[in-house]
Amino acid sequence: MSDLSDNTPRCPFTLDRRRFLQGLGAAGAAAGLGGSAWAESRTDATSSHDVTGAPVSTTTQQSHPFHGRHQQGILTPRPATGMVVVCDVLARDRAGLERLLRILTERIAFLTQGGTYPKRDPSYPPADSGILGPTIAPDALTVTVSLGASVFDERFGLADAKPKHLQRMTGFPNDALEPTRCHGDLSLQICANTHDTTIHALRDIIKQTPGLLMVRWKQEGTVPVMPPSPDTPTPSARNYLGFRDGTANPNTDDDALMDSLIWTGDDPDEPNWARGGSYQVVRIIRNFVERWDRAQLAEQEAIFGRRKESGAPLSGGSEYDKPNYNDDADGKITPLDAHIRLANPRTPGFEKHRILRRPFNYSNGVEANGQLDMGLLFIVYQADLEAGFITVQKRLNGEPLEEYIKPVGGGYFFTLPGAIDEHDFLGRTLLEATETDV
Amino acid sequence: MSHRSLFFAASVFGLMVLQTPAQADVDPETLVEPIAEYKLYVLDNLDQFVSHTEKFTQAIEAGDLERAQALYAPTRVYYERIEPIAELFADLDASIDAREDDYENGVEDPDFTGFHRLEYGLFKEQTTQGFTPYAKQLMTDVNDLESRVQDLTFPPAQVVGGAAALMEEVAATKVSGEEDRYSHTDLWDFQGNVDGSQKIFELFKPLVAEEDPAFVDRVEKNFAAVEDTLAHYRHETNNPEAGFVSYEKVSETDRRAFVGPVTVLAEDLATLRGKLGL
Ligand code: HEM
Repeated sequence: MSDLSDNTPRCPFTLDRRRFLQGLGAAGAAAGLGGSAWAESRTDATSSHDVTGAPVSTTTQQSHPFHGRHQQGILTPRPATGMVVVCDVLARDRAGLERLLRILTERIAFLTQGGTYPKRDPSYPPADSGILGPTIAPDALTVTVSLGASVFDERFGLADAKPKHLQRMTGFPNDALEPTRCHGDLSLQICANTHDTTIHALRDIIKQTPGLLMVRWKQEGTVPVMPPSPDTPTPSARNYLGFRDGTANPNTDDDALMDSLIWTGDDPDEPNWARGGSYQVVRIIRNFVERWDRAQLAEQEAIFGRRKESGAPLSGGSEYDKPNYNDDADGKITPLDAHIRLANPRTPGFEKHRILRRPFNYSNGVEANGQLDMGLLFIVYQADLEAGFITVQKRLNGEPLEEYIKPVGGGYFFTLPGAIDEHDFLGRTLLEATETDV
Repeated sequence: MSHRSLFFAASVFGLMVLQTPAQADVDPETLVEPIAEYKLYVLDNLDQFVSHTEKFTQAIEAGDLERAQALYAPTRVYYERIEPIAELFADLDASIDAREDDYENGVEDPDFTGFHRLEYGLFKEQTTQGFTPYAKQLMTDVNDLESRVQDLTFPPAQVVGGAAALMEEVAATKVSGEEDRYSHTDLWDFQGNVDGSQKIFELFKPLVAEEDPAFVDRVEKNFAAVEDTLAHYRHETNNPEAGFVSYEKVSETDRRAFVGPVTVLAEDLATLRGKLGL
């Protein structure tokens, strides 16, 4: 599936060991937790006096294949940083839209595999921003292109080909949506091992698509990097509420399961061109972290239905053990309104409502009240938007977690099928399906 | 660059940023005439700027709010056209055209003077009371600017680069409506910037037309696209002097329609110096 050079897909990001341990040591000591385990492995990071020496990563050469039936960035192991950039399409006609999709395809193919930019006559602007130097490494970059419902309006003659469930996101009861952080014609999900790689890709794309794309909103996020773990499967990374996130995702190695849950295809009501695509939901969900940090641990665990430290279900076992609700009809162990129990009651027939979550933590700035503006850049994929996110979110409406979270932005998109080979481009099947003989 | 470029068709918005630009082959002598002509254009506009500023500031000193409001935008236009040159004098640019965002204390900042300080009084506070000192200061600054520009040798790179710089102005502050946030006369400034940019392009066009006709064609079409949208919001379609509707009346769709051609113009015109070997 991927060319990952090292074989730790859940943690593809390995920092230079010295610096890596420096971070851990400092964190442990600062919190007064400098236990013996840390003490043994801690190394002295201050021996070097190279103050501004570049941080070193051993994973810059990791790359994910761009061509294929499905786009990258969905089943691809989630790297340490990601962002969603939602744009409006400025192209005014089909020709312009096609040009945009071809340029995007060409740029993504280049950026995700790496290469060298041409040198220019210095009286011209340079070929790219140069923030990664003249030769860029792939750094596990993926760029995933999806379309919003608004693209299927009268501008491009695509109305008849709109995926069946694609619609403009509507607010749920706990939402406080900000219009400037919602909806849009086209979303770019850009992920990589390091933040600067995603920024470079975004700036390249913006520079190459003037007059075609206008950025509407953008949200960046991260996933905490973990030390390589001897345990398999690797424990999940944590979100900003301190809980392991991603545990109960459907198994992405199971092709048949992915075909039924993630990739749009089998439904005869879906347009043919959409085969191999997926519905993408993006939600910017603010977390009230100060308040959360003042909540009882027992309450926190009851809210999610999992142990904070281990991620194990309240019903027992370890992180990846199945929660047991059968012997707990009254919710004495796992409350009936616990997040995971509402999101997936694990009852017969509920399998078709499962979704693939691939979120990032975000941290933006400070609110007027002095509280931190941070939360979850929630990204999910599913074959059927209605059966997936919308059904699950409706079940979650009113959950106790709502006291600590507030969705403020996002949108619904349809992730285009992949570009099969060098002759193909993203969105080709859509354009072909809507061609009219003039 | 990727050899995988699939296709690049040049159409209205088309921009072949990926092509390797041709080496400039322009005789510096040929720049002399357009530069001289541009200086005439700037001096002409400055002349008008001075006389309009006189009327504008007199209206304020006379306490004629309505007249001062009416003269605000038509006066600024001349400045907006020649910004690439005016901005060479950073001290004057700050006292003539700074915005409240440029000061930590915003409107209250004692250093905040010029058009936008007056705009705040005339359109937000709806008064001329107490604004005479700002009016007098503005007049002094504008006269100072004129005499400094007269003595100036125009640097070719600055002039040619001005075509793109003006479009950057539009892209950064006009499309968003933040330039004239109290008077909502952004379209006047918008037109001023576009006029100034187009003038520079027209003057140097003959030097690049032969080598890159597609470039010239694209730039002209994008200027035309901007002009079309602007015309739509004029009180009289074909008469820029008649003025524009309030920027609040410009639809979201049209604000967006500006961004496309404006961004392509900014990218394209950014290569003009390269094409002329500057
Ligand atoms: C800030 C908001 C949210 C936070 C902090 C959060 C956190 C968590 C955590 C800690 C888990 C348990 C570990 C895991 O299986 O990954 C979980 C599970 C889950 N969450 Fe969320 N979540 C949030 C929002 C949502 C939303 C909006 C949805 C969908 C509408 C959702 C759907 C799910 C699902 C389907 C599961 C797996 C349940 C299972 O199969 O057992 N979550 N979430």
